[in-house]
Amino acid sequence: MEKVGIVGYNQVKLYSDANYGRYEMIFEAVRGAMDKAGLKKKDITTVISCTNDYYEGRTISNCYTVDVGGGYMADESKVEMDGAHAVLYGLMRILSGNHKLAVVWGGSMASCFPYHSTRLFETDPTWERPVALVNDITACGFQMRAYMEKYGVSAGDIAKIAVKNRKNATKNPLALAEAQNANLTVNDVLESDIYADPVTELMVAKPCDGVAAILLAPERQALKITDKPVWITGVGYNQDTYYLGDRDLSKSNSMELASKTAYSTAGIKDPKNEIDVVEIFEQTACEELILTEALGLADNGKGINLNSEIGGELPINPSGGGIGGNPPCATGLIRIIEAAKQLRGEANGYQVKNANKAIASGQIGMCAQNNIVYILEGGN
Amino acid sequence: MTEKIIVANKGMVRAEFNFWVGRYMDKFYDGLEQKKIIGNKCPKCGDVFVPPRKICGKCNETISLEQNWVDLAETGTLVNYTITPYKVNDKRGRKAKDQIVGMVKIDGSNTCIIYSLLNIKPEEVKTGMKVKIEWAEKPKGAPSDIKGFIKV
Repeated sequence: MEKVGIVGYNQVKLYSDANYGRYEMIFEAVRGAMDKAGLKKKDITTVISCTNDYYEGRTISNCYTVDVGGGYMADESKVEMDGAHAVLYGLMRILSGNHKLAVVWGGSMASCFPYHSTRLFETDPTWERPVALVNDITACGFQMRAYMEKYGVSAGDIAKIAVKNRKNATKNPLALAEAQNANLTVNDVLESDIYADPVTELMVAKPCDGVAAILLAPERQALKITDKPVWITGVGYNQDTYYLGDRDLSKSNSMELASKTAYSTAGIKDPKNEIDVVEIFEQTACEELILTEALGLADNGKGINLNSEIGGELPINPSGGGIGGNPPCATGLIRIIEAAKQLRGEANGYQVKNANKAIASGQIGMCAQNNIVYILEGGN
Repeated sequence: MTEKIIVANKGMVRAEFNFWVGRYMDKFYDGLEQKKIIGNKCPKCGDVFVPPRKICGKCNETISLEQNWVDLAETGTLVNYTITPYKVNDKRGRKAKDQIVGMVKIDGSNTCIIYSLLNIKPEEVKTGMKVKIEWAEKPKGAPSDIKGFIKV
């Protein structure tokens, strides 16, 4: 694959109920990324946004974000999945050879719309939706039970992932304040209120407000813009079947297949040894283990045996991950930004040593129905 | 920082959708009205779907409307469950009474359907247990004809 570089990024501080509006938040993210990279509006050749019409409360939701998102009188379009999928579209635009700078941004404000209702609206309107028993809440309960029963993993072991991510989030100033907790114990997680048994409240990546932006450029352009580009050397994406009742929720076939494509594009044969840091978009603590295993970083059911702390054998979500704050349409994009920060040595306070190759993943759908994986590499 | 004000234009537009259930689901709902479960079988892989499908995604094959129908029992196995205090259809995400939601594989089928588990205490619920459909008193050919599942 031709080299495409990440040449800039910016993320707003995540809030559970931000005191400012979408317009300003998008502008802050996009203009901030441009300013930090020393670029101007005229340098933008294409803009890809990621919003969801249900989340924004208006149809063709990119119609109103054009001006604030750098898309005024520009080549502009939208992806309605995760921000990580918008990066794929941006990557394709750059690889087409027609563009010198792509702005990719995504995000929303979960404080302004009924998030769980919009997830109910993912279900079949002629079958599951009228009965109203399936949304992201019940889906993650099914997923964790399937995983625990298949592999005999305890809730206490799964809670360790929530402890790790919430502890990591305390070092990330942009994480959601409510998600940060340096003194949390496994018992605190287990004794927090039931969300969807066996999932408890503190195991969940809570939807919040936030926007993030990333800048992509072809190799030659990237080297002119920055002396610290991060290269996208591999990408893979895959979609599982629709009905939750058709799937084996104890694992993620779509992530496994997506990662195989990404590894082969990037020439990675032994991911566990070749990768230095991983940023996964996990909706729950349990899902981080399922996706870690699907990425081939641990055997099925053994994800908890991998030391994934900062400073561990393979750090996963040193930024706090999705549990550290989950702004719909931005969370996967933030994982890519966090991985890029690690490779550029800019993850102040949660920097992983000698980080040269990273995995970043995004997802969309119930129990991560669709997964997208990037392999990122630092250095010139 | 000023306080955020959200203005909702209630009642200005109601965008209500009509969905065509399609001939396959039409037949399935006719079955429900008779308190019967019918599925259909992929001619290639042999998977039996409940509710029936026109296409088997795995095989990328059409399942003919004229054949491949399978009459199924009203019993099944509880494959998975969760218990949540959240009301799934509540816009504000409020909590109510704990609700037990089960994933049931109807005997003779390869897919699971998701319904409430009724008349059972949370501590009595075990995956692998046999359950059967509790039908609505007056079925009307709709998903709600299955009130839920009870332990056999």
